[in-house]
Amino acid sequence: MSAAMAAHLSVVTAQSPSLSAARQSVIHLYRDFQRGVPEIMRTHQVDMPMSMIRTKIREEFERHRDVKDLAVIDILLFKGRQEYQETMNAWKQETHIMRYFIKDDAPPKPQGFLEKFLAGRD
Amino acid sequence: MFRAIRPAALYRSAALYKTAPAVVARNAMALNFARTYASAGLARSDVEKRVLDILAGFNKVDANKIALKANFNADLGLDSLDTVEVVMAIEEEFSIEIPDKDADEIKSAEQAVEYISKREDAH
Repeated sequence: MSAAMAAHLSVVTAQSPSLSAARQSVIHLYRDFQRGVPEIMRTHQVDMPMSMIRTKIREEFERHRDVKDLAVIDILLFKGRQEYQETMNAWKQETHIMRYFIKDDAPPKPQGFLEKFLAGRD
Repeated sequence: MFRAIRPAALYRSAALYKTAPAVVARNAMALNFARTYASAGLARSDVEKRVLDILAGFNKVDANKIALKANFNADLGLDSLDTVEVVMAIEEEFSIEIPDKDADEIKSAEQAVEYISKREDAH
């Protein structure tokens, strides 16, 4: 393997010519992620139902549903591709996958003054 | 000795699949008669029924609106990401992989049926 050889699943970063083109690449990225779920679960030995992983992927895409700026979408696409490559190539490890689920397991944030004080937050 | 226990074991493994009874029966047959060749294509009515069943299994879809001609987006109210999930469920059901280019074009159950009937490796 030569050093110049592109890594597996790497994609050349590109500027999207239009919003509809960007939308199409987002859909492709989403499809790649969802299609990769069984393999992700295998390589990372994820001890969760498959539906949870699928929902989490969906959630991460939904977070940026309202982004309209093409430049921002391009960056998000790049990050998504990067995330996909790192996950599928197992450059990420189990802990990096589980980090997506931290918020789901965390106790609710303290609301009132006294609760915040007792939790050691101000 | 192994030959004697084989069919029973195969039935057991086939029963483990959590799929529709029709699929289980087909798998069991395929395993038992491993040397037979693939049957000649799928019946269109069968494909239609299976595709509509997939849609019915989607909890975002209103069961009364499901129809062959219904557009996923306009009629069934699914967004682009839901559509991706539906098409992927169809892929799993028929054990095929639809390339991005073709998957983007599938926007209704009818188009899905059309595409599957063109694919010879669908089963």
